[in-house]
Amino acid sequence: MKTLIFFAITGVLLCAQNDWSTYSGAYNGWRHSTLDQINRTNAGNLKVAWVYQMPITERIESTPLVVDGIMYLTEPPSNVVALDAETGRPYWRYRRSLPAKINVCCGQVNRGVAVSGDRVFVGTVDGHLVALHAKTGSVLWDVEVAEPKNGYSVTGAPLIVKDMVISGVSGGEYGVRGFLDAYDMKTGQRRWRFWTIPEPGQPGSESWKGDAWKHGGGPTWVTGSFDAEQNLIVWGTGNPSPDWNGDVRPGDNLYTDSAIALDADTGKLKWHYQFVPHDTHDWDAVQVPVLVDGDWQGQRRKLVYWAHRNGFFYVLDRTNGQFLLGKAFATQTWNGGFTKEGRPIRKPNIDPIPEGRYIWPGVQGATNWYSPSYSPQTGFFYLTAWENKGLYRKGDAEYIAGNRYIGSVPEIDLPEEPGWGAIRALNPKTGERVWEHKMHTKPWSGVLSTAGRLVFGSTGGWISREKVAMESYFFALDAESGKELWRINLGGTMASNPMSYSVKGKQYVVMPAGSGIFAFALP
Amino acid sequence: MRPIPIALLLTAACMAQNPHTTPEDVAAGAKIFRSHCADCHGLTGTGGKGPDLTTGVFYHGSSDTALLNNISDGIEGTAMPGQFFSPDQIWQVVAYVRTLAVKGSLKAPPGDRISGEQLFKTKGCVNCHLVKGQGGINGPDLSHIGSQRPAEAIRKSIVEPSAEVDMSYWQADIVLENGTPYKGILLNEDTYNVQMLHPAKGLLTLPKRDFRKFEIVKTSAMPSYQSHLQPAELNDLVAYLWTLQRPRRAE
Repeated sequence: MKTLIFFAITGVLLCAQNDWSTYSGAYNGWRHSTLDQINRTNAGNLKVAWVYQMPITERIESTPLVVDGIMYLTEPPSNVVALDAETGRPYWRYRRSLPAKINVCCGQVNRGVAVSGDRVFVGTVDGHLVALHAKTGSVLWDVEVAEPKNGYSVTGAPLIVKDMVISGVSGGEYGVRGFLDAYDMKTGQRRWRFWTIPEPGQPGSESWKGDAWKHGGGPTWVTGSFDAEQNLIVWGTGNPSPDWNGDVRPGDNLYTDSAIALDADTGKLKWHYQFVPHDTHDWDAVQVPVLVDGDWQGQRRKLVYWAHRNGFFYVLDRTNGQFLLGKAFATQTWNGGFTKEGRPIRKPNIDPIPEGRYIWPGVQGATNWYSPSYSPQTGFFYLTAWENKGLYRKGDAEYIAGNRYIGSVPEIDLPEEPGWGAIRALNPKTGERVWEHKMHTKPWSGVLSTAGRLVFGSTGGWISREKVAMESYFFALDAESGKELWRINLGGTMASNPMSYSVKGKQYVVMPAGSGIFAFALP
Repeated sequence: MRPIPIALLLTAACMAQNPHTTPEDVAAGAKIFRSHCADCHGLTGTGGKGPDLTTGVFYHGSSDTALLNNISDGIEGTAMPGQFFSPDQIWQVVAYVRTLAVKGSLKAPPGDRISGEQLFKTKGCVNCHLVKGQGGINGPDLSHIGSQRPAEAIRKSIVEPSAEVDMSYWQADIVLENGTPYKGILLNEDTYNVQMLHPAKGLLTLPKRDFRKFEIVKTSAMPSYQSHLQPAELNDLVAYLWTLQRPRRAE
């Protein structure tokens, strides 16, 4: 009996270590692997174990999941594949047929699936949420989350919370009204919906004028985190619509560009913190919330760490959303500080104007949707950061259902001054930088920390017709010093996040590049 | 009501002419373009993520009908999405896009093209520039320069080569720690290496860790030909280069 209990406990532990069972690896959003077979002493020997190539033209943004030796991942636009995680050989593929017209702002992409028991869940670019049988890929249910003809799509990975599937929506460039949904895992029936843009009469509606709320944006396109102890879903919301012309939407525009915390059973708002009131720079709060129970000025508190697209690293109290810290992690020229309540003190002359205005960070931010990581060993917060400015122009914004509603033509990669990128380690107690690993390009990928005291990351750039700098190195850094220990040129666009898992006693690290999934292991 | 012959209907569908071409339509089309198309095609249609629309020639079809269909349905296999506009609105966009076509290059510039071709070969141009497979590779390929640049821009590039230098021809000026200098066309750069086309040594990859000096030179390696050509000769050379046109695709 004792032995049985022992096995049961270690079994659970091993299970938790070997699998990568949810988008960020765990509910806390840490993107940290407890595996240490690959570590600082042997990372230099990493070799390609297998490659899975997809028949695609779109970018891979998917984080693969691995459960019991089977890898589940999405192929853009909205297909799902199950692979043997040891060999990369496919078991089955779910191929979604899509309508001819689908508008997704930035490519028909997908960031991954959610898995629970015998079910695999995927959001689709035509606005559906689909449950598949994990052993066959057969459709168990298929429900419409939102209508694509109104500019909605689903690109983010769903999150399993208890017996529910939580799904966000995309469409911030199409004037959608954002929301977050919970569906019954077994039936697909909707349990609740939280509108990120309140309707007149609801709390927060005073931050809107007229009918602007109807097309106010605030999408929820990156997977959030879950605090089981508090029964709290913590999620980020995107930009208000139209992005770069705020004239039609005076006010703070709640709950855009915010961290929102919802009661998991009811979907009711428990607290919120708005990073950018009345945003006119497309600085979505679509980062993975990193939930840590840690020291805050000598007291143990439930915290949220958040490195935002606007260039600031934030610490919030997870029980009430209280602002504790806001500290720039990259060059920024828009914010002169914070009020005691945590409201940014905007500098003058930062709104876009027709002839354009240079503001740091640029349109794609100082970081973006790709994941940060937290290591309990070093206590550092790791992220991909961009040093870049953008030319912000204000333009016409005319709402026509299903079409772009952005109010500008932003200039992202200034050819003469393209900016550069870095992996940075921050001390989350102060927001101070501990080290950085510089690179020539601006990466579009997140970071993974492991118990081998490693941080995996990649260089950046998208393949382009023009000679815009693009490089495809995947590398391992020493988590304590940032020293590069290993790298490989994978030769394709990297716009995803690394993850790690173990099968039959062997640890793998995975990074998508180009149209391939690359798995690395020790020889 | 008299039945309309089916053949006529089909003809109308296949050969549709834009019914919305008034200045008001163009203005309305411009507004839609700025809000919905300029993100990829640029505020003035000169391209960005999406192709340049100012050439008047469109790879996926240049007829009004082709433009209508491509804007309405999108273009499969490309990033061009279908748009949810009414047909009238799309016609207005087409009317606006038509106004973007660069004009002025259609008339041949003055000068003797035969003499210009001789000058191209004798004055040294051919040593660095390729025309239809013949010539050097240290400068841009000029095989279709007449389609790519108006005559005035060609003239300016000859007398003032550094006035406008495409990023593709910026040079890397490198000195290694051991003192060896390398100067050539900067082909690529990443965190660890620089790739260049060296005039003597060809294609090279140089590791940044060995660099003592690394500068990107944004001026042209080409000397001005102002003092090497008589005014009439300059006209002849421009006239010749202008004839180097890209073959038109059949509709």
